[in-house]
Amino acid sequence: MATSTGTSKPADSAGLIAVNGPVETFGPIVVAVALLALLPLWFSDSGSMMGVITEGVVFGSYVIAFNIIFGSTGQLFLCIGALAGLGGFGSAILADRVDLPMIVAMVVAAAMAGLVGGVLSWVSVKRGLDTIFIGIVTLAFSLSFENFVLGRRDLTGGETGTFVDAGSDTVLRDRVPSYYVFLALLAVFLVLFRLLQRSRIGWAFRALRDDQLAAELSGVDVAWHRIFAGVVGSTMLGFTGALVAHSGRGFVGPSTFAFGEVDVRVLVMLALGGIGTLLGPVLGSALITMIDELLIDYAQLRLVFYGVILIALFLRFRHGLIPALTGFARRLLRRSD
Amino acid sequence: MISALMDGVVLGLQYGLLGVGLTLIYGLAGVINLAHGQVAVMGAIVVSLAMEADVPAVPAILIGLAAAAVFMLLVDATLMRAVYRQEGESRILLGLLIMLGVGFVIDGVLEWRYPIQQLGLRIGGEPIPILGVPMSTGSLLATAVTVVIGLVLVVFFRSTALGRGVRSVIQDEQGAMLVGIDPARVRTFVFGLSGLLAALVAVTRAMTGPVGVSSTISFTILALIVAVVGGLGSVSGAFAAGVLLGVVDRLSSFYIGTYVTTIILLLCAAITIVARPAGLFGRSH
Repeated sequence: MATSTGTSKPADSAGLIAVNGPVETFGPIVVAVALLALLPLWFSDSGSMMGVITEGVVFGSYVIAFNIIFGSTGQLFLCIGALAGLGGFGSAILADRVDLPMIVAMVVAAAMAGLVGGVLSWVSVKRGLDTIFIGIVTLAFSLSFENFVLGRRDLTGGETGTFVDAGSDTVLRDRVPSYYVFLALLAVFLVLFRLLQRSRIGWAFRALRDDQLAAELSGVDVAWHRIFAGVVGSTMLGFTGALVAHSGRGFVGPSTFAFGEVDVRVLVMLALGGIGTLLGPVLGSALITMIDELLIDYAQLRLVFYGVILIALFLRFRHGLIPALTGFARRLLRRSD
Repeated sequence: MISALMDGVVLGLQYGLLGVGLTLIYGLAGVINLAHGQVAVMGAIVVSLAMEADVPAVPAILIGLAAAAVFMLLVDATLMRAVYRQEGESRILLGLLIMLGVGFVIDGVLEWRYPIQQLGLRIGGEPIPILGVPMSTGSLLATAVTVVIGLVLVVFFRSTALGRGVRSVIQDEQGAMLVGIDPARVRTFVFGLSGLLAALVAVTRAMTGPVGVSSTISFTILALIVAVVGGLGSVSGAFAAGVLLGVVDRLSSFYIGTYVTTIILLLCAAITIVARPAGLFGRSH
């Protein structure tokens, strides 16, 4: 940011919690992560259930990353899966073909995703027509990436996918430990989101989301903040994707990061939980993962179901569950006074 | 090389028509229709179902076009009402998200009920040489239909009262209201027209190769890229951009490989946005 007014403390005007102590700042994260950490107590016997909850936590991370991009700055990135896939396939190729150490490969691949996300954001933000162009450019990028994965058979295994060697001698291949690795990543992302929310950048995000013109007039560099959110969120998506590629069965295929698998669900999860909120992504991904599991016999209808939820949420329930729940809790508290 | 060029023009005219439907809705309603390709393929599936029920080809095609048009009219009359109440950025975003949801629903229904249903219209006859390149009768007929419809659209927008009304609303909504044109009715008309044009493109594509569920998203994205390069809101721009991109498409898949084609088309769109956001053929403000 170019200007600094010095005295203005990043006031949490739109936040849900009025006090800025460490308990209020990180308490909700500790509670949510602790609850999720208990899940393997029930499910560790069942391989398929561990797979389901691990995927739920992975999606939680995707949703937090997307929340930084869409929730904070209103950029509708329709390439969540493609950016995660850039990290996933990128890290797999760098580790297996170029022989980079796995951690280095993951970091490089995540940085690549961040760079691409930044460029997509820059292209669309440049002329101030971002809402229209960001959707178009990122959707086109999704298709480009999918065609690339299918076309460059030698690198990606094409339609059949490919197995990833790197990571096969780590705990990432074991059911329960890999769940905790992904949970740790989710916790780090939540802390990152919270720190960002409470910083000057978070203040600027709220300002430009509420009223872009007013934000610009008060010295917020709107374009810079949008691109920053694009880079940070995309890097997080890329890193999560890289971790996915090296864990579990160690397999990446065209459906692992497909638009219809990732983007659709992430959008519904975020809209359901609450766009722009800290715990919305966790609640949304938990609920949708549960609903998916309940409706497993109607898996063919999943896309129809997601489409209907998406339309209904944006027409009638735009703020999502977390704001509704906190509002409800607040009314209860007031009544008991 | 020449055959790739000719193929590019054939393909490009259809891309253009695909872009026109999208660009009209954006120009009139401020809605980016992310379900454009899905509506197109839905029309084609209706045609193929009708033909399986022994309806002759031409009436079957008319039924498919009507189905797509009616679907878009319904969208305009129901879901879009909430979008029209919004203003500015939030209107565009809401329209985008709602149409994305509509696209998921269509995709989901098609994948569920008709996962392998395809429309393929085989047009008989020997290939006809044009500039020394043998062109299949299917792609010639597709081109002829596209060109005729394109000309009809141009004449319609230039010389009929309704067409001029549409153009006046694109240019200046309030001015159009002052001279007695109701933007809401024009909008409804254009939603129907857009659905019809989308299905028509799917039908002409079916004359050169089968069209099924797998084409939905790529149709939508092609329409988006054409509309961006041609300039959002510009009908003639969409046709010019369509031909240009069709040629780029064929040449790049001829010389490099099919998998890079969308990347190159995406680059074209990105370069256009950075260099000339009003579109190559649009008027810049």
